Amino acid sequence: MTHPSRIGSRRSLLLTITILLGLGLLLFAGTVAAAAPVPQTTETPFATVTPTFDLSRLDEPVTADPPGQIDRGAIHYWGVCMACHGDYGQGLIPEWRDAFGEDKDCWQSDCHGPDHLPEGFQMHKDNLAPPIAGPGKLARFSNAFELYEYIYETMPWWNPGSITREEAWSLANYVLKLNGTRPDGLVLTDTNGFAIPVHRAVSLPDAEWPGVLTLAGVLVLAAVGMVLQSAIKRAYTSVVLPKPNFVHHLHPPSIPLLQSRFRYTLGAGGIAVFLSLVLLVTGLLEMYFYIPSPEHAATSVQVITTLVPFGNLVRNLHYWSAQLLLIVMTIHLLRVVLTGAYAKPRRFNFLLGLALLVFILLLDFTGYILRWDEGIHWALVVGTNLLKTIPIIGENFYRFVMGGPEPGPAALTRFYAWHIFGLTIGTAILIGWHAFRVRRDGGIAVPPPTERADKTRITRFELLRREVLAMVIVGIVLLLIAVLIPAPINQPISDAGIDTSDSRAPWFFLWVQQLLKYGDPFIWGVLVPLLVVLGLGLIPYVLPRAKVEELGRWFPRGNRYAQILVIIVILGITVLTALANLPIFK
Amino acid sequence: MKNTSTRRDFLKLVTNAFFSLSGLLGLGGLFRFFSFQPDPGPPTEFELGPIYEYPKGIQVIRLDIPAVIQHTDEGIIAISLVCTHLGCTAEENEDGEGFTCPCHGSRYSKSGNVIEGPATKNLPRYRIEEQVDGSLRLYTK
Repeated sequence: MTHPSRIGSRRSLLLTITILLGLGLLLFAGTVAAAAPVPQTTETPFATVTPTFDLSRLDEPVTADPPGQIDRGAIHYWGVCMACHGDYGQGLIPEWRDAFGEDKDCWQSDCHGPDHLPEGFQMHKDNLAPPIAGPGKLARFSNAFELYEYIYETMPWWNPGSITREEAWSLANYVLKLNGTRPDGLVLTDTNGFAIPVHRAVSLPDAEWPGVLTLAGVLVLAAVGMVLQSAIKRAYTSVVLPKPNFVHHLHPPSIPLLQSRFRYTLGAGGIAVFLSLVLLVTGLLEMYFYIPSPEHAATSVQVITTLVPFGNLVRNLHYWSAQLLLIVMTIHLLRVVLTGAYAKPRRFNFLLGLALLVFILLLDFTGYILRWDEGIHWALVVGTNLLKTIPIIGENFYRFVMGGPEPGPAALTRFYAWHIFGLTIGTAILIGWHAFRVRRDGGIAVPPPTERADKTRITRFELLRREVLAMVIVGIVLLLIAVLIPAPINQPISDAGIDTSDSRAPWFFLWVQQLLKYGDPFIWGVLVPLLVVLGLGLIPYVLPRAKVEELGRWFPRGNRYAQILVIIVILGITVLTALANLPIFK
Repeated sequence: MKNTSTRRDFLKLVTNAFFSLSGLLGLGGLFRFFSFQPDPGPPTEFELGPIYEYPKGIQVIRLDIPAVIQHTDEGIIAISLVCTHLGCTAEENEDGEGFTCPCHGSRYSKSGNVIEGPATKNLPRYRIEEQVDGSLRLYTK
């Protein structure tokens, strides 16, 4: 046999042999192994190769620049895994063993590069490197996370634990590609790995932002149209009575112009109602994909976020509406106290509003728990264990809430039922009642004393128009936030626990978490927050109120103490939240 | 005044058109949202084990598929046991000859042909392939 490297110097001899022996020799060469190893012209993980082996199969894969996760996976696979699992995941079958030259083993071929032992390297004792691509393969894995976890913990078999998590993700991604089930553009993380099946090809939805920007753009145009309409004619005094409709009570035929001054009301109540409607609609949509069981909850959240078209948008809208709602409600509370608007006859409605705040807090917390991932794990444990600290009734109250002695399927179902039904119904009733009382108690707001003689009125259509305009503007802002800032997500709760687990409370309860560091959990975690709510509820009944002549302006003298109290409460909660966020307190 | 009113009407029309368009966009998104199917569906391939486990004349019921595997004169064949009427699983008759659906009483012969309604179609066959290692695999699709 002619050594290939000497082809150049013995060209004439080779030509002669070829001419003489012709096809017969070529056929013969296919069955006779080369006597000497083939020197490498390109860099490959192998030093020797059986001559019939197509060398280009060992070429370094061509990757994008800069390399993405899938490219890093391809390179890593080529450098480490390919030796045993084959260039297309076929495993260590005879055809692939030709890549190792004469002995069809790793012994001489430096297949592990720098890790190759000087005295050689034997293949796996059973020569069992399973195929990892094709029908029926990888049957034990159902989703990409399981694949990643297995690779991370057991591969490569001669040095498990030697690859980083990111390398394991990139390899899992590449193995999906070998199996033809990798969706284009996939970057695997622990927040989408559970949603990507190993054996079923899925596709990632198109980017959401073009659709969202189109929608936001159309809404901007509609808003401009509304503003221009009002610029042309302000028909405030029109007294044509329209037919009654479902908003009749909340939108009487006409209201005094000065009742709906934005700089006085800040529109906070209306915006809160709008955010609640967004929450209702997006929440209903999420229910079509969310699965309330401990095994599936977090995975179904990953499916909504990763795979469902516009699912990520829906979830982000739901999340951000909920967070914004708490802020808007706080502003609403501040406005009502700082203008003294809760004075008689609105004292009871103040309590209704406070109850709404509590309900929304509970909705925020139960919704947060429904993620059932490592991000909420400790908040769930701590938040519910607080109930146990209540004297006498604590233990029973805990079981009433959780449906068992510890967080489990029953607890998840209860949180789900409370979130989508119990608390939602309660909130809906409270919103209706609260809004009903606004009209009962004399309209949105009392005009300032100097302007109460002004009899200018606006029609219900003008009022509705203003409301729609506010909704459109808030809606656009919400859409932009939702498409730009992802809602938090983590990997499913695992019994083993993981190091990325977040031990912090949701932001709206961080102040309680901070309080808990100061002493007895019942006093600081239950009693103090309850006293805060109670204190706020007593404001209209105990502290001096603003006089009727003062109403309709910011900061009346009459209820100074109440103003100071509410500012102290809000500041206190803000400071505690900030303290909880400082790293030294973690 | 007349002029103003017309301009107002036009603006109103345009504004409403934009609102309608945004509604249509939302509906389109909603349609795509609901179109996604998270369920993978049942498996379409089943391992039947090594070929020597199916000697001539044998009949094996596999309720997980559900199907009956028979080694007949034609070789090893698989017949679906999903009743062609409304999808219940047909059961083997006590004498081992033929199948009966428990839901509405359709009766099939041993080879899956309809003997008695309400079913009108015969039980379909499934494809079986021998793998390189000598095991059999059944394909429902």
